[in-house]
Amino acid sequence: MSEPGYRQILTQPRDHRIAWWAALAITIHIVESALPSPIPGLKLGLANVVVIAVLILYGWRDALWVALLRVLVGSLLIGTFLTPTFILSLTGAVASMLALGVTYYFSRMLPNWAPGALGYSVLAAQAHMLGQFTAAYLLLIPHPALFKLLPVLMTAALVFGVISGMIAAAMIDKVEKRAHSGTSG
Amino acid sequence: MRCLLLLIVVVALSGCDRPSAHSHKQQMYVFGTLVEVIIWTEDEAAATEAMSQLSAQFQHQHQQWHPWEAGELHTFNQQLTTGKPTPTPDSIAPLLQRAIELSVASDGLFDPSLGQLVKLWGFSDNLVNVTQPPDATQLANFIKQAPHITDLEINNGLAQSHNPRLYLDFGGFAKGYAVDRAIETLRQMGFDNAIVNAGGDLRAIGSKGEWPWRIGIRNPRGEGLIASLQISRDESVFTSGDYERFYDYQGKRYHHIIDPRNGYPAEGFSSVTILHHDAATADAAATALLVAGPEQWREVAKKMGLSQVMVITPRGKISMSPAMVKRIRFEVSPEPNINVVDW
Amino acid sequence: MLRRGDYLIFLATLLLLPWLYFTLWGDQRAGEYAQILVGGDQQALVSLHQPQTIEVAGALGLSILEILDGKIRFITSACQGKQCIHRGWINLGGEVVSCLPNQVSIAILGGEQRFDAINF
Repeated sequence: MSEPGYRQILTQPRDHRIAWWAALAITIHIVESALPSPIPGLKLGLANVVVIAVLILYGWRDALWVALLRVLVGSLLIGTFLTPTFILSLTGAVASMLALGVTYYFSRMLPNWAPGALGYSVLAAQAHMLGQFTAAYLLLIPHPALFKLLPVLMTAALVFGVISGMIAAAMIDKVEKRAHSGTSG
Repeated sequence: MRCLLLLIVVVALSGCDRPSAHSHKQQMYVFGTLVEVIIWTEDEAAATEAMSQLSAQFQHQHQQWHPWEAGELHTFNQQLTTGKPTPTPDSIAPLLQRAIELSVASDGLFDPSLGQLVKLWGFSDNLVNVTQPPDATQLANFIKQAPHITDLEINNGLAQSHNPRLYLDFGGFAKGYAVDRAIETLRQMGFDNAIVNAGGDLRAIGSKGEWPWRIGIRNPRGEGLIASLQISRDESVFTSGDYERFYDYQGKRYHHIIDPRNGYPAEGFSSVTILHHDAATADAAATALLVAGPEQWREVAKKMGLSQVMVITPRGKISMSPAMVKRIRFEVSPEPNINVVDW
Repeated sequence: MLRRGDYLIFLATLLLLPWLYFTLWGDQRAGEYAQILVGGDQQALVSLHQPQTIEVAGALGLSILEILDGKIRFITSACQGKQCIHRGWINLGGEVVSCLPNQVSIAILGGEQRFDAINF
């Protein structure tokens, strides 16, 4: 029961699709930044859920756009653009997108070894944390004592990665079901 | 999109490209000890240049100031022994001047005129061929007619000794004085962050980037460190101890810091640590307080203008001035009991 | 539903984390190498994890060094005072033991250097 009009929504220009997902990511990003956190800079990273979903649904290039728009527009809206917070956030996003990109294109060559949402999410969270940590060390606090924190942060990243991976899997599931059933929200 | 990505990577990594300052370290053997110079700078070539300049400066001083090896101090001593007025060489005059001031301030507990006594004990030549302390009567005779730095009369650059046994040996003090000169040289060359560590006695200036210099203080008994402290401006840390140079004879330890009052190695303290601005004062004071012992150390310290002092007895009892307590952090557990003295 | 790639990523993470804890939380003060100097010039750079005895020719004669279990010490030296031998084992980054008369010294390299200089 597919009608042409709905099909048109599904085949809209890529930009439109990216903008929609980016808007979702930015909204989550802003909501999350308003929530208090036990350790400054340590966040669940729910906006990554969107990036992982886009990666699996539409590919790495789209995911990259969503990730970068999230960092850029998100920081402009919160007012942290070009501050250390922004630089940390950007380094984290770039690092996780690089890790995702390498894995994504490898798994295209070896489809049997392609990870799912959970694997990508854990990978992204770890790379994000490592990138952010490196930036924090080099630019903000180049003190050797900072390295004592790294194992804890990486453990936290693993937990967060699993959580957002499960959410992303559920999200992808919903989107794919809707696409198959032909309804859209 | 590729360009954007590249731009982001470049922005993110640009922090790495700054030439960053780090420690340049060099060790040299001079004054019979291991001298280590650390310079915190980004200019490696200039640091290397400074190191070789300092090395040459130390070698030159060693040769000028050695009491028994051919050199200016040796010649000067020979001339003083004759009792006739003799011109003080330019290379020795400032060192001698400073030593006399400090000797007087220490009530003679630090005395650079006792070269003969040091030689009698065999501590003048790195303990080569020394196995036993000197004969007691020989020592008693020397002490009866012992020279004092006040026996040296200086008028218009002419020095005259009034005691034939007077023989200048600056000993460790030459090291402290040389550390001050080395810091001066480094500053002239534009280095404001450095450490000159002459065989464990050191002066540190500036800091290591944003962090202060961290100095460990070795445990006078046993291995490892007893305490640490931080220096972020300009300070010297000098320790005199009975464990630095010594020999054991018939179960008794004889160390190199001789009490000028009785001619025997000083007893009472196993180490004295001084924190003071200039290295020369810290050096002379560490020696003087080790000699002063538990009864007199506070009095002598105040007279020499010190405020940060730590003393440790052979049984491990630690006393400190109130100003020192604020600076010291113990590196042993459990933390030792310390006796904070009135100042 | 987990895929093979997921397991691979989990495996990598589970290997990475213990390694991070081990290397960053372990005793980092212990050094890795001993630099042996004669008269201030480097003669040799040896690993502290290779047990051996080393003979070094100094100004007066031979000094013999022993390396065992990540530590190093003087066992004999051609000097009078033998203070270098009294010092015993050293293993912490930045530690230095020297036989001044023989002009032989050992400096521990690597490890977290807690101190810039040691006063004694």
